[in-house]
Amino acid sequence: MRQTLKKSGGTIAVVISLIVLLIIWWLFSLALKNPAVPPPTDAIKNFLASLQKDLLTHLGISLYRVLTSLFLAAVLGVPLGIWIGKNQKIDDWVAPMIYLTYPVPKVVLLPVFLIILGIGDVSKIVLITLIAFYLILVTTRDAAKNLERGYISSVQSLGAGSWDLYIHVFLPGCLPAILTSLRLGLGTAMAVLFLVETYATQEGIGFFIMDSMSRLNYEDMFAGIIGMGLMGFFLYLILDKVENLLCRWVKL
Amino acid sequence: MKDDYLFIKSLKVDFAPKKAPVRALESVDLSLSRGKRGVLIGPSGCGKSTLINVLAGLNADYSGQVLIDGRPPLRGGETALILQDFGLLPWKTVWDNVVLGLKFRQKSAGEIKAAAESVLEKLGLLSLAQRYPAQLSGGQRQRVAIARALVLEPKLLLMDEPFSSLDALTREEIQDFLLEIWEETRLTIFLITHNIEEAVFLGEKIFIMSHSPGRIRQEIENNVSNASRQRGQTQFWEMCSFLRSFLHRSSHYAADA
Ligand SMILES: Nc1ncnc2c1ncn2[C@@H]1O[C@H](COP(=O)(O)OP(=O)(O)OP(=O)(O)O)[C@@H](O)[C@H]1O
Ligand SMILES: [Mg+2]
Repeated sequence: MRQTLKKSGGTIAVVISLIVLLIIWWLFSLALKNPAVPPPTDAIKNFLASLQKDLLTHLGISLYRVLTSLFLAAVLGVPLGIWIGKNQKIDDWVAPMIYLTYPVPKVVLLPVFLIILGIGDVSKIVLITLIAFYLILVTTRDAAKNLERGYISSVQSLGAGSWDLYIHVFLPGCLPAILTSLRLGLGTAMAVLFLVETYATQEGIGFFIMDSMSRLNYEDMFAGIIGMGLMGFFLYLILDKVENLLCRWVKL
Repeated sequence: MKDDYLFIKSLKVDFAPKKAPVRALESVDLSLSRGKRGVLIGPSGCGKSTLINVLAGLNADYSGQVLIDGRPPLRGGETALILQDFGLLPWKTVWDNVVLGLKFRQKSAGEIKAAAESVLEKLGLLSLAQRYPAQLSGGQRQRVAIARALVLEPKLLLMDEPFSSLDALTREEIQDFLLEIWEETRLTIFLITHNIEEAVFLGEKIFIMSHSPGRIRQEIENNVSNASRQRGQTQFWEMCSFLRSFLHRSSHYAADA
């Protein structure tokens, strides 16, 4: 479940994996001989060239959409998840509601959101937020529910109020689970981002890729794909670092 | 007696999970005077933890009379609780665990630092202050839990099987250590155990509890605990075997009933 890049010894492994991946890619491009899969050297050159043009703007807009959505999802999902997990009575009420709606793929609501919220950023952000929110809510709730009772009673006996329990017990205790859900949420958010950006918009990396494709500009298209891949990779890396920083105790 | 420090009369606790309601305690009577060490011993599931939770103010859903120094139990007051797995927060360092109760009491930073330093110093934990609980041995963790309780200068120390996860040697060390602390502070201690030797070594008064629903079956004045600090002595073993036979009898009684 947990895939983190180890600090020591990991660097070499990462470099080797990178080289292997580049070789596989290169072999593919040789075998296919198709402009849609350029060899890595050309692709990277094109990528750097496209960055000078408008690729960076599109990446920036996409980054804004993903980060805003994940932020909103966490700000809503974490406190709510803890609150539900902490109160059995509330969970009894809410659980069936989550159970019924959780498996429904929220992406199908895209047309509805487009119609109600318009084709601007709002509909996109709301959809991605909704999807990540569910993931975070459910994971946090389960973590809060399964938190060791001994932590709660011993801290209560020290005189903790309800707020103290949130800050000193539930939040840090659920944090590893929250970060895992954020990481899963990030993957889903990127996928949904691509989808929502291919409809009714002139901005964002998804648009850039599909637009280049329709213009048969495979160089730009592939540069866009690399850009989106790198964006996902760096966001993942940041979450990893945050986890190392905040959850040091987990790995002791 | 009603003016005892710890006074419990006709305590009854029911748990009502959705399907099968459980009566965990039925008319428990118990009292302990100030500065005494009481030990509660009884078979698993007889309601010992339930009783200590009421005393710690963690369960207000009881009927009967429970008074600590004349007042109903209150969490975060003059009572400290130590649990079997110590209840230390794994995400906080030793230092942060120990100052937690002081923070809840809104003490000033200076007061907190002074109090925590002196307790950690006394328990030989100061050099471990920046470690996390996972980086400590069982005995060290137990001492941190004791430090976290003592730093609040409690009048009553409640312990629920505090030493049961320690190996025999560490366990005896910590028992000695607890007696030293008691001699110094003269706080009232109420401790739960499964271990007969521990009960005889630590308890000036030993309460024997029986099963389903839990009640106090017998109360024993244990002079051995004060008279000798040595576990090897004849009187000590005599007391242990007396207690053991008593426990066997009462568990047969519970099984027959
Ligand atoms: N929250 C609860 N809900 C329902 N039943 C409970 C609850 N807590 C305890 N019980 C029941 O009450 C009885 C007493 O439990 P308690 O934990 O006090 O026993 P104990 O004497 O501490 O046992 P042990 O020595 O194993 O720790 C048991 O039958 C237990 O199943
Ligand atoms: Mg118990």
